[in-house]
Amino acid sequence: MIKVILTRITSLFLVLAAISVLVFLIFFATPGVDPAARIAGRNADQQTLIQVRHSFGLDKPIPLRYLSMMNHLFIQRDLTSYVNRGTKVIPELLSTIPATLSLVVGASIIWLLMSVVLGIKAASSKRKWIDPLISVLGIVGVSIPVYWLGEVVNLITQSKLHDSIFHWLPPLGYVGITSDPVQWFLHLIFPWITLSILYTGIYIRVLRSEILTAMTEDFVKTERAKGAGEKRILYRHAFRMSLLSIVSLFGLDFGALVGGSALLTEVVFNIHGIGKLTFDSLQNFDLPVIMATVIYASFFVVLANAIVDIVYAWLDPRVRYE
Amino acid sequence: MIGLKKHTQVAFSQSPGRVSWEILNKDKRTRISFAILLLIIALAILAPIYSSFIAHTNPFVSSLDASFNMNGKTVQVLQPSTQGLGLGVTPIGPTWKFNHYFLGADSQGRDIVARILYGGRNTLFIGFVSSLLTMFFAILIGVIAGYYRGFIDNFLSRILDLIWAFPVYLLAISLSVVLLTSGLNFGFIHFGAGSLALPIFIIGMVYIPYVARPLRAQVLSIRERDFVKAAIGYGAGNSNIIFTEILPNVLPSALVFFPIMVALNMLTESALSFLSIGVQPPSASWGTIINDGLALLYTRPLVAILPGLMIVITAAALNLYGDAVRDALDPKLNTRIIK
Amino acid sequence: MYSKKNKLFKVATISLLITLVSSLILSTNVKADGNSLPAFDKSKAGGTLKLVAQSAAGTLDPKINYTAQYWQLYVATYDGLLAFKYASGPEAFKVVPDLATAMPVISNGGKTLTFTLRSGIKFSNGQPVTVNDVKASFERVFKVSGPTAGTFFNGIIGADVCLKTPATCKLDKGIVVNPSTNQVVLNLVSPDDAILYKLSTPHAAINPAATPGKDQGTTPIPTTGPYMYKSYDTNKSLILVRNPYFKEWSHDANPQGYPDQIEYDFGVTPTAAVTAVENNQVNFMFDQIPADRLPEIGTKYANQAHISQLTAMWYLPLNVNIAPFNNPKARQAINYAVDRNALIKIYGGANLATPVCSILPPNFPGHVDFCGYTKGATPQKPATSWTAPDLDLAKKLVKESGTQGQPVAVVVADDDVNKQMGVYLQSVLNAIGYKATVEAISGNIQFTYIQNTKNKVQISVTQWFQDYPAAVDFLYVLFGCASFIPNSDSSINMAGYCNKPLDDRMKAAITLGAVNPTAANAQWGQIDKDMMADAPTVPLFTPKQLDFISSGTKNYVFSPQNKMLFSQAQLK
Repeated sequence: MIKVILTRITSLFLVLAAISVLVFLIFFATPGVDPAARIAGRNADQQTLIQVRHSFGLDKPIPLRYLSMMNHLFIQRDLTSYVNRGTKVIPELLSTIPATLSLVVGASIIWLLMSVVLGIKAASSKRKWIDPLISVLGIVGVSIPVYWLGEVVNLITQSKLHDSIFHWLPPLGYVGITSDPVQWFLHLIFPWITLSILYTGIYIRVLRSEILTAMTEDFVKTERAKGAGEKRILYRHAFRMSLLSIVSLFGLDFGALVGGSALLTEVVFNIHGIGKLTFDSLQNFDLPVIMATVIYASFFVVLANAIVDIVYAWLDPRVRYE
Repeated sequence: MIGLKKHTQVAFSQSPGRVSWEILNKDKRTRISFAILLLIIALAILAPIYSSFIAHTNPFVSSLDASFNMNGKTVQVLQPSTQGLGLGVTPIGPTWKFNHYFLGADSQGRDIVARILYGGRNTLFIGFVSSLLTMFFAILIGVIAGYYRGFIDNFLSRILDLIWAFPVYLLAISLSVVLLTSGLNFGFIHFGAGSLALPIFIIGMVYIPYVARPLRAQVLSIRERDFVKAAIGYGAGNSNIIFTEILPNVLPSALVFFPIMVALNMLTESALSFLSIGVQPPSASWGTIINDGLALLYTRPLVAILPGLMIVITAAALNLYGDAVRDALDPKLNTRIIK
Repeated sequence: MYSKKNKLFKVATISLLITLVSSLILSTNVKADGNSLPAFDKSKAGGTLKLVAQSAAGTLDPKINYTAQYWQLYVATYDGLLAFKYASGPEAFKVVPDLATAMPVISNGGKTLTFTLRSGIKFSNGQPVTVNDVKASFERVFKVSGPTAGTFFNGIIGADVCLKTPATCKLDKGIVVNPSTNQVVLNLVSPDDAILYKLSTPHAAINPAATPGKDQGTTPIPTTGPYMYKSYDTNKSLILVRNPYFKEWSHDANPQGYPDQIEYDFGVTPTAAVTAVENNQVNFMFDQIPADRLPEIGTKYANQAHISQLTAMWYLPLNVNIAPFNNPKARQAINYAVDRNALIKIYGGANLATPVCSILPPNFPGHVDFCGYTKGATPQKPATSWTAPDLDLAKKLVKESGTQGQPVAVVVADDDVNKQMGVYLQSVLNAIGYKATVEAISGNIQFTYIQNTKNKVQISVTQWFQDYPAAVDFLYVLFGCASFIPNSDSSINMAGYCNKPLDDRMKAAITLGAVNPTAANAQWGQIDKDMMADAPTVPLFTPKQLDFISSGTKNYVFSPQNKMLFSQAQLK
């Protein structure tokens, strides 16, 4: 097991290194992104261009540029933006984490609660129409483009009905929980709902089928034969069994979202989190910020993957590494 | 990213055969989803008929100064505001007349209905072809990694990690600049400037790990089965075992993924259109129409809402069908249904 | 001018203007019918002025930042020896003494300018402003490799060495100061008729001599004006508070401000910003107002919208060095084909822009009303203004040029307005016989991308805003041989147009301008016509500035040079 974990940690760093190299190469292979002229300013003199290129190390060969950027990012930790000169990348990135965490934690509470309630209901309800109805809700949930939903929600809550039903709603953006908890909540309520709709859809579907599968397992039959009540079987056994896959699924999703996968939601609702930072830096072709956010995001995605895989390997001997 | 990262539990049936197909055909969900999908495909195919014979409009030509006759009055397609300071120009809204801008025009004065019908063609095409691409690579990687195990598995799994963690948006934006300007050469593959091949390629890559991982896990466990061990014992060749023992057992699961992949890839296409990569103007896909419509959200919200609804309906139908397929091919649930 | 922050003041290369300094230019170019500001009214002072923008505009260092967004703040915080007057209307183009006691004494055939620095003025850190600060500030332009180091200030003696070795820059001969008399003598290599304008820009602001010779980024530099910077976070906000050491010394150069605090919040999308202004939550939004919000602003909020003339142009540079626009007939064809009104519709309607076919904007020195490319006109027999496109003539010209069927790619920025224009142009180019595509690339790189000849851009959509009212700023900078630098991202002559006879005539007009501006402007008008006959570009329209401010914001003053004057906004 320790060997497995060590291998995974090594490969985690290999993957991160590979991604950073790829990002770097793609950036400098894109025509027109040479930041020198943009840094130097409009219509700058050619001499000035040369000076700027030199002072940012852009006249060095690509491998040296890469090493120098990694040095400033990880060792010196003083990498600065190409666009907002003087803005240090690492504090900038760290400052966006609370917004992303607020969004992701809030949304995941909603989708976990919703999907557990609806998933169990769908799998257990005696009424005929409940299961198909919840299934259709789940299907619609996973079929909606998130940014489109966000824009429509904004259209309704910020414009069409803002003067009547939603007059209490503050403008788009993010307010820190420490500066004003009420405003924090009001700003995030619709982003939470929007983000959680997709995941509620996914989790309902998974939970429902997991519970149904568990209900056909032999030990449930044994329990039933022993005379255990259906409720007890459902909650004590079937639901518990299905939690395993829900938890590992949640691990993957949470890792990706904290890493910035909520990009579209953050952009649409103007929440300055890690996803929005990534988006803005891409729009600006701001390589130092792109590099930092990409490595940060990949780290969480790969880490979550590794953890889930290891947990799986530990629980299921058939998939264990040799 | 929009994504189901769940290794959907698809058990394989050793002989899916006729039983599954019958179940699938009897399933109400199959019929409903098929009806919806057929309708949408028919609409997309009939797009030229609508635009040339009903609306008499070319949805790919800007007509910023166009006007037409409605109820004896000349109506401008793009209407400058005449009140107050007279700021802004608003395209015509729904006229509810099939021959003139039934649902209104976009900011280039083009008929929205015609654009949505034509856009559906590109969206469906991209969704379908990119999913084929995803399936091909996913099966390839999943089978090879699961069958050979060891170093090859480790290597391929890290490649999957890389794809999964790779910033698709960066790739999309950078490549779109390259694509737009000079096209791309990958040795033997050439992507011409403005071609559909690039969005299809990018979208096709994104979800490979999503399909390849569960397939690999399945192959790993199939490999431990007696019939495979027996085949190895007889001294059958690797490729022989893969094609006769492994692949037939993995394909049903792969099949389950296909409709879900088409839906997911359609959603990815629309998300990438948000970043201007994808179908190039004046062509359209539902994603690019949404993107154009966002600039009209306050005055003509329909332009963005309609193509979005089309995506939701189509993706939902595909997912519904995917559920039906999964249930039909899943032996565990099979027993439940029979009981 | 549109939503992205990269729409900057585009300031001219004037390095080659070898002319005599003449204060005449300043007085004749500017009609004296603008308005000076009324005296400070203390009862109206107070409150926090809230501004919003989609994003911050980069470094706060006034020697480096080159954006309209922050230059609008610099006029309320930094001072140079000279300044553009705080006023509305054309009066705002007038140069007035700021930290100098009076306009400079010009001698030595225009090569020596002698100033006297005001005494008793303090920086916001309490230190007095001395002549040493003046010298150090000019040296710092080079030390930080400011964008205008080689274009504005390269005429100062010693600048050539400073450009090559910025770190050790010394302008001992170029700027001679005398601490006992407070005298500052500026020595130029040769006379420069635009030097007074250049000295009025924020890049010539006076900062403490102790400021390090490096980009200060987000670290504020002490100011001299009514406000100083308290904090700056490029992801959050920029906060300005009153400078405790400020006492109004010249009402024309930098008057006392009304708000107690100015807060610039970043990360607000234009749509959210419009809503916030409507709800009186913020006073002013920087970004271009989204097209679908214009109707409501024009009606429901009409008295909060302010439309002002700009001297600027939207235009299509045509690359004269590659097919198909290396053929003059192809260039004329596209000039005939483009429907300016259609583009104006995309921009926001007829009340926000005026169609043009000349390079010099209306009401600009040298401008003549003419249009050679409208229905029924020719470059030889021009009409007075643009009325309608002539597609038939355009098609005929394309046929004659033998370029029909050739591929043409229109390169535009990927914001909505520009992209829509690209799609329209694609349609027009297809209609006259080309195979057109539109390439929408990130607005942040489009401007440098279309300049570089390596990218082989045939036609693009871009804008140019005046820096100061002189014809040279448009004609010579955008279409002069000196501005065309192959293989460079900084080659503002995007058309790659270099017409030797016209170039010589422009240089002659520059020289003439120093002695006889009226005659020179007549020359410029003729050069404009002759250049347009050769059609290196398609001028589209002259945009107007639309500012949308909250109902609680009083005393809106618009300076055509510095845009809305924030320090004059009253919140009481």
